[in-house]
Amino acid sequence: MEHILDDYAHTNGLREVDTRLKLLLGCSCILIGILSATPYAPLFIGISLGCAVVLLARIPVGIYLRLLTVPVSFAVTSCIVILLLTGGGGEIWAWSVLGQHLAVTAESADLALLLLARTFGGMSALFFIALTTPAVELFGVMRCLRLPQEFIDLSMLIYRYIFILIGEAIAIRNAQVMRHGYTTFRNSISAFSMLAAMLFLRSWEKGEDLLRTMDARCYDGKLSVIEQGCRPSSRALCAAAVYLGTCIALMILPG
Amino acid sequence: MHIMEGFLPGPWWQIWFLISAPFVIYGLYQLKMLVRERREALPLLAVAGAFIFVLSSLKLPSVTGSCSHPTGTGLGAILFGPFITSVLALIVLIYQALFLAHGGLTTLGANVFSMGIAGPIIAWLIYRAGMKAGINTFVTVFLAASLADLSTYIVTSMQLALAFPAEVGGFMTSLAAFGTVFAITQVPLAIIEGLVIALVFKYIISARPDLLVRLNVLSESAVDRIRGPAA
Repeated sequence: MEHILDDYAHTNGLREVDTRLKLLLGCSCILIGILSATPYAPLFIGISLGCAVVLLARIPVGIYLRLLTVPVSFAVTSCIVILLLTGGGGEIWAWSVLGQHLAVTAESADLALLLLARTFGGMSALFFIALTTPAVELFGVMRCLRLPQEFIDLSMLIYRYIFILIGEAIAIRNAQVMRHGYTTFRNSISAFSMLAAMLFLRSWEKGEDLLRTMDARCYDGKLSVIEQGCRPSSRALCAAAVYLGTCIALMILPG
Repeated sequence: MHIMEGFLPGPWWQIWFLISAPFVIYGLYQLKMLVRERREALPLLAVAGAFIFVLSSLKLPSVTGSCSHPTGTGLGAILFGPFITSVLALIVLIYQALFLAHGGLTTLGANVFSMGIAGPIIAWLIYRAGMKAGINTFVTVFLAASLADLSTYIVTSMQLALAFPAEVGGFMTSLAAFGTVFAITQVPLAIIEGLVIALVFKYIISARPDLLVRLNVLSESAVDRIRGPAA
C-alpha cells in the first residue's frame, strides 16, 4: 500500500493559508511550466516549490524525494525514446545497434531536457497542492466553480469510502499473508482475486448501509455542508503575486 | 499507465481535454438521470468509485518485479457501462494525482481518454458481444478486461507518439518505439489483470449473484447455468 498524501496535508505547516490561494498558485505554476519553451521556469518552479513544501509545509525530505521517484521513472523511460527518435541540429553521439542507426542530436537533447524539467516542475506544483491542501477543502472550491451537484456529492462520498476500503483491504491482505496466501505466483493470483472480489462485495454492502443511514437522516438527493470562509491575508497575496511574477518573467525571458 | 504532469506539450494536452469532454459530459448527464430516477444509485456508485481507486492502488503480483497496478476500469465498465465509468474514472484520476502522485492535472484529459474512455468502451463492447454470442462468461470477462488494459496502453503510446513524432518515419516509428518500451511491463500486466478480473467475477457469482442480476450484467438464466455444475 502506498502513502496517501492527504495524511500529510492535514498536518502541514501551510494548512491555515487560504485554499483558493494555494490552488491558484499551484495551478498557475503548472500552466507556466507547460507553456514555457525553455527549461528555466519549470526548473525554478520545481526547486522553489520543493523547498516551500519541505521548509514551509514541513514535509519530511525523505518522503518528498521518494514521491519524486514515481514520475521520474516514467519520465526517464519516455525521454530515452524521445532522445533517440526526434532529431534536428548536429549529432552529439551516434552508434548502431542491429543495423539500426541511433543518434542523439542537439535538438533532441534539448527536447528531452525540457520535458524532464517540465515533468519535474509540474510534479512539484502538483505535490505542492497535494501536500498542503486536504481534499476536504477542495469540495468547497468545487462548489464555488458551480460543478454539478451530483459530481461533488459523488466525489465526497468516494473520498470517504476510499479510506474505509483501504482499511478493509489491508485487513484482508494481512489475514491472507498469515495463511501463506502470497507464497507462490499461482497462490498470489488467486489470493489477490479473492481480495478484490471480497472487497467489491464488502463495499457494496457498505453502500447499502450508507443509503439506509442517509435515509434515516432525511436524505433528499443533496448533501449540504457548512463551510468556514476565510480570506487570504494581504501578505500571502503579495508573496504569491511576486512569486508568480518571477516565474512568468523566467518563462518570457529567452535563455 | 499514467502520463505524468508536464509531459504532454501544448497543443496536445488541450486537444485531449476537448476530446474527453463530450464523453464525460454525457456521463454526467446519465448520472444525473440515474440519480433522479433511482435514489439508491448515488451511494452505490460512490462505493464503486472508491473500489476502483483502491483496486488500482493495490500492487498486482507481477512476473517482472516492476511496479504494476491494475486499472480496474474494465470491471467498472462491465458493471456500470462505459459512460458512468468515465465519470468515475475522472474522479479516481484526480484523487490518484492528488493522493498517490500518479498522473497529473494538465495530462488529465489524455489520461481520462486512455483509461476512462477507450479502455472501458472496449471492455463493454467485448463483454456485450461475448454475452450475445454465447461465449463462456469467464473467457469473455478475461478478454474484456485484458483487452481493455491493452487498448489503454496502446492509446497512451499513441498519445505520446502524436505529441513526439520521430524525425524519420514520423508517427508510426514513434508509436512502435513507445509501444515496445512499455510493452515489457504492460503486456504481462494485461494478462494478469484479465485473469484476476475473471476470478473476481467467479467469486462474486458464487457469493452474491443477485447483485449482477440487478445491475443487468448477467441474466438469471445465465447465473443458473454457471452455478449449475458447481451446485
